[in-house]
Order: sequence, then C-alpha cells, then structure tokens
Amino acid sequence: MLQPAAERSADTDRTSASRPQVALRVTDAAKSFGATQALRKASLEVRPGEVHAIVGENGSGKSTLVKLLAGVHRPDSGQISIGGTTVNRLASPKESLRAGVATVFQEVLVVEPRSVLENVWVGTDGLFRDRTPRALKRERATAALAELLGTAPPLDLPAESLSLSDRQACCIARALVREPRILILDEATSALDVATRDRLFAILRRLAGDGVGVIFISHRMDEISEVGDRCTVMRSGETVATLERGEAGAEELVRLMTGADHLAPAAAREEAHRREPGKALLTHAGLEVRAGEMIGLAGLEGHGQDEFLKSLWQVGDQAGVRTAYVPRERRAEGIFESKSVRENFGLPTLSQDVRYGLLSHARTRERLAGYVERLRIRLHDPEDPITTLSGGNQQKIVMARWLATDPQVLLLNDPTRGVDLGAKRDLYGLLAELTAQGVGVVMLSSELDEHVELMDRVMVFRESSIFCEIPRAGLSRQALVSAFFGERPNA
Amino acid sequence: MRELLRSRPFGFALLLSLALLAANVIAEPSFGKPDNWPQELASFAPLAIVAMASTPSILSGGGGIDLSVGPLVIFCNVLLIHKFFPHGLESGWAAVPLILLIGAAVGAINGVLVTKLRYQPVIATLCTFFILIGLNLKFGASPRPAPAGNWTTHLGDKVWFFPGALITILVPALVWLVLSRTAYHRQLYAVGGNQSTAFSAGVDVTATRIVAYALGGLFAAIGGIALTALVQSSQAASSAQYTLIALAGVALGGTVLGGGRGGLLGSALGAFAIYLMQTLLSAVNVPPTWNSVVYGGMLVAGVVVGAWLMTQRPALRRAAA
Repeated sequence: MLQPAAERSADTDRTSASRPQVALRVTDAAKSFGATQALRKASLEVRPGEVHAIVGENGSGKSTLVKLLAGVHRPDSGQISIGGTTVNRLASPKESLRAGVATVFQEVLVVEPRSVLENVWVGTDGLFRDRTPRALKRERATAALAELLGTAPPLDLPAESLSLSDRQACCIARALVREPRILILDEATSALDVATRDRLFAILRRLAGDGVGVIFISHRMDEISEVGDRCTVMRSGETVATLERGEAGAEELVRLMTGADHLAPAAAREEAHRREPGKALLTHAGLEVRAGEMIGLAGLEGHGQDEFLKSLWQVGDQAGVRTAYVPRERRAEGIFESKSVRENFGLPTLSQDVRYGLLSHARTRERLAGYVERLRIRLHDPEDPITTLSGGNQQKIVMARWLATDPQVLLLNDPTRGVDLGAKRDLYGLLAELTAQGVGVVMLSSELDEHVELMDRVMVFRESSIFCEIPRAGLSRQALVSAFFGERPNA
Repeated sequence: MRELLRSRPFGFALLLSLALLAANVIAEPSFGKPDNWPQELASFAPLAIVAMASTPSILSGGGGIDLSVGPLVIFCNVLLIHKFFPHGLESGWAAVPLILLIGAAVGAINGVLVTKLRYQPVIATLCTFFILIGLNLKFGASPRPAPAGNWTTHLGDKVWFFPGALITILVPALVWLVLSRTAYHRQLYAVGGNQSTAFSAGVDVTATRIVAYALGGLFAAIGGIALTALVQSSQAASSAQYTLIALAGVALGGTVLGGGRGGLLGSALGAFAIYLMQTLLSAVNVPPTWNSVVYGGMLVAGVVVGAWLMTQRPALRRAAA
C-alpha cells in the first residue's frame, strides 16, 4: 500500500522547481445542508503534477468537497484558491470549468439521445457561437477517446447505444478535452472496465507529468496505491491527515478513516448476543436469515446492499414468510406527508379495524396507542399530519405500521439515518426486544457503530455482491472498513 | 421504409400525411389542383406554425411546455388589426419586426417565469394563456376586418408566383435550420436530454431555456401574421382554439414531451396530418362534430407507434454496433 515508487518521485522532483507550488488550495471549507453538516472543516492542497487521492468512508464529506470545487455547491465558509488566485466561491460548474477545474462525477452523466461528439464537447461553446471549430472537435474527441478506449467509438453514434463503461469514458473525455489545470475524478473508475481503467491511469500519469493536479477519489485501495502520490484522509466532514506516498500502510489509512478513539472492541454488549440461533426463516443468495438473529448489511454506498435488501423482501413474500420492509427514503417511500399519523400507521393493516363492514377509526387509534407506548412515540394527537412529528418519531410510526403486520422477518433500510440519538436508542431497544421474540432482523446501515454494537453478523457488500461475512467476534470498525475497501478479514 | 421509421421519430407522421394526402386527392380531386394550393396552405399555416412554436419549449425538457402560444398567435392577430392598421402602422416593414419582437418578448417572459422564478411550466404558461385571452377580448371585443389591400393579403395568396402561406411556414423552419448550425441547437438538446449533464458540463441551462421559450413566442408571432393573412379579420373569440390541437401535432410528430428528442419538422408534419384528416373528413361529408374524436384516435395510434419505435431503436443500434 502506497509504497514508494522511485521513478514517479524522480519525475515530480524534476518538474516541480519551475512551477507554482500549489495548484489548488482549500482552506477550512464548510458546508451544511439544512441541519446536516456535510463538511465541517476541510483543507486540501494539491500540487501541480501530483495525483492526490482522497479517501474516507460514507458521509465523510468527499463528494461534498468535490461538489464545492466543481461549482455545484457553494461553501458556507472557507476559501478556495486555484493556481495562487483566491476564488471565494465558484458560483456554477461553468465558472469552475473556466477557472481550469474539470470534474468527472461518480454518476455517469451523458445526454443519452445525443451523439458521442456532442457529449464530449457539451458546455464548451457560447450560447450561440462555437468556440472550437468542428473539425478540431472531431479530431480531439477521437484522440481523447482513443487514448481511453484503445479505439474511439463512432462519434456520431448516440451515447445511449454505448456500454456503461464507454459512456463514462465519454464523461472523462469531456474533462480531458478542456485541458484542465485541475482534474477531479470522483469515483469515476467504478463504471469503467479494467482495460479502460489501466489506460486512464496512464493518462493520469501523463497529465501529472505535464503539471496538471489530479484529485482522485476511489473506494479501491489498490487503485489508490497504484496512482496516488499523496493521500488525504477525510472523516466526518474533516480532513484529518495528508500522507506522502509510502508513508502509511492500509491499516494506518483505515485507522485514520475510522478514528483512533473507536479502536476498543465493544465487548460489553457481548452478553446480549449470546442467543441460540433459531430456525431458518428464509434463504436468498447464500444468506440464511434465522429466527431471532440480527444481520447487518454493510458496504460503501451503492455496492448492491440496497438491491439485496429489496430482493430479500420479494423472496420472503414469495416464500410465504411474513416480511416487512421499512424503506430508507422516509419522505419518498415511507410516509404519506399530507396524511395523519393514524392513517400513516394503519394503512396496511386496516382489515383489522373493520366493524360491520365499515372502518372504525377508534379501533385504529386503539391499536396505535399500544405502539405509541411501546416505541415511546412522542405524539400529540393521532389526527395531526405526520409531518408535525420529528424525524425520529416519524420513523417510529413507520416502524409501528409494519410491526402491526406481525412480521417474521423485519427488513430495515438504514432506519436511523437522520434520526436523533434518543430515538436511535429507543429503536435499538425495540430491535433487541423483537429478536428476543424470535423475529429475524436484517438491517442495512451506513453507520459502522450500529454494525459493531448491534449485529450478530454482518454481510459486507462490494461491487454488487456479498464480499464477505464478518461474525460477531470479528466485528470492529477497522475490520468493516478494511472489507469495504476490499481487504478480507483474517479468518 | 422501415429504416426511415427507425431512424426518424417523425416517420409515422410523414407516412400518415402521405397516405392522407392521397386519400384527400381521391375523395376531392380539386384538392390536388395547383390553383387551390395557396388557399389550402393558408388555412393550414396557422396550425403548422403553432405546432412549431410549441416545440422548442418542450424540447428544452424539465417538463417544459408552452400553452400560451395559441392565444399569442391571436394576440398578434388582434394587435395587427386593432392597433397597427388603424394607427398608421400600415407598412409591413415596420409592423413585422415589431410584432416578432412582441412575440419573442412574451415567450421570454414565460421562460423567465419557468427558469428564474421556478414556476411549473404548465402553470406559468397557463397564466400567460389566460392573460393573453383576456387582452385579446379587451382589444378585439368586436371582430373587425383588415383594411383592403393591406400587406398581409399577399401572404394569404401569392407573393409573385410563390404561395404566401408557404413563406410563413418556411420562416420558422428556416430560423430553426440556421439555429441547428449553431451551438444553441446542441445546447437545447443537451439541456432537454439530460439537465444535470448539461449543467455540470457548464451549459447555461437558464439562458438556454429562456431562449427556447422566446423562440416559441417568435414563431407564434409569425403564426399571428399567417392567420391575419388567411382570415383578414381579428379573431379574439377563437383564442383558445389552437393550443391543444397544436400539442397533438407535436406529439404525433414524434417529439417526446420529456424533452431532448424530436424537432420542428416532426411537429409541422404532425400538424399536417391533422389538417389533412380535417379536410378529408369534410370531403367525405362527415359532420365536423366528429373531428375531435378522430384527432384523439389518431393521437392514440401515433403515440403507440411512437413508443414502439422508441423501444425498437436503441436495441437495433446496439445489435448493429
């Protein structure tokens, strides 16, 4: 991991004397979205001619930092300077590009019905006037795509007819043809096939040799050690360290990403997890969910855990197991915003409230009252709109809704996201109670501590499949993050 | 023919138009006589132009639509008859630029409402729709004929040997053709096709959309001139007539309401098919009350065929690539 590479350092030494020392500097940048502080205090310095890697776990602020630099978001405070000139804020991607910063985002951003050529050059012209002659556009698009893909795809083909990897190559070519001073790749390699990725790394080395500063974000340690000259580690919205190549191994990086203060294993709760595994309730893709156990699904965002959880729901339904799924996007998938608490609670179980062929609201309220007490829901009147409750209490109502269906398997999709600490604790208590009653719980969580503290075992997802299973005994923040980045835990 | 359908979204409208044209000539042989073309084209022109005027805002994506182009056509017609002719603006050289400017300005206001003030496009242009209808009824309360021998009469008949209506149809098409050779055309389709891609690549999404609405307004003003040439009177009472039928033409012409796919030619062809259907129905003595039913049925068929073509195309290209 990040071993010194003699030929690379010699290369940068030779060229750095004649150039400004800093291509890009970020000082104490902060950004919050509503109540969420996505970026607290990020500082970063990118030299011309280096590939600067940024690592960090979910929600550490990597993407927010990138979006500030790309002009997608504006920082609340802090300074950004490019090539020695301070630009207090980049008001739009257009300004950022004009300042010489080109960004390739994690999402594959192409205009599907338009040609490859248009996709490569989109945004470079004025509103009416072409800034680059058409022949030159074709030539340079072909050159950039050929360097990335070996052979360039036909430039007049619509982007929607390309493979995902080739589409992402179009996005990278879009950044390359602008000849940026700073090139940012935000997990841009995840959609690329291996050969294209290798060619991209060769391009990055060439650009660095020409004095371009490259910011490289990846979830793969092997990629970072292959191209990274330096590496900045982010944790909970702050940049915690910048390491030279060869200065730190993978373990040190993981320690920095997770925070030194979390090193002690949570042995205290061990007792609670000593349960006899019950009978198998449902099996899917090698995962057997047993009664009374609690399984965690972990991984960096978008590695297939979400889809897996949803398919468990489907499998459970088909197998005739009573399966309840509590979705992640509370507003989009969980609650009916304009409806009352009572209606939000009772919808799937209204058949229990039928009296003489008609619905009895009193009966629904009665059922709800039981859960209000059990889940400690703070509630004024069940007829109030659900949006009058706090996020934590809304989530509890959604939980109550599905608990009312008396599930055998409970599937939770990141249930504590955006929920205050007290409500989290109530939820954990409830889950312990449920597993003791023999409910099988599968919970996707983006919080490492939840896995370490709560789970009987954790399935770590990487690249759309289960990468490894970590049993209770082996659970620690380090073990999890190592697995996220592709290092198997020692058996 | 299958290749044409596959590669051009307006293929269905084109084939339908050709078939209906043949049917029209068979049902009413005088329809095909060149002497009748100027009149036929003149009665077709307003519809075609409104359909074209509806297109740029739809192409610009983000739920873009301009319901106000129909009343805007009438607004320009009312302005010409009630404000321009009686007040000494009798020369076409002065009136045309002014009326085009007014049309583009109304369109630009719609664009600002949608982009800067973040109104839903349907709501924003519905407001303009009602305001324009109100103004039309105020200015043009009593229908008035145009003065005899004014400059628009040529456009209703012939300019030299050329059908005048064809000029009014060709002007928007020509503007579009010129634009399609500029960067604006590509940016419009980029913004409509994938807004976040366009934004992140540095396209000025706001300006692109405002220009799209202004273009629609400009085309509507041309439609107003065409209509005045055709009827030689003010038509305040028919303010709401064109909007919906023009949208039917747009949809029939293969422009996707989600934005980014389609074009002006398709919309004109879609409108042509609707117009031909209308003339065919009257030629075979179907009561005009049935017209709407037939348009609706045509649109249902057109949308189904269009959707079918959309699902066919990428798969075939991928296989070929």
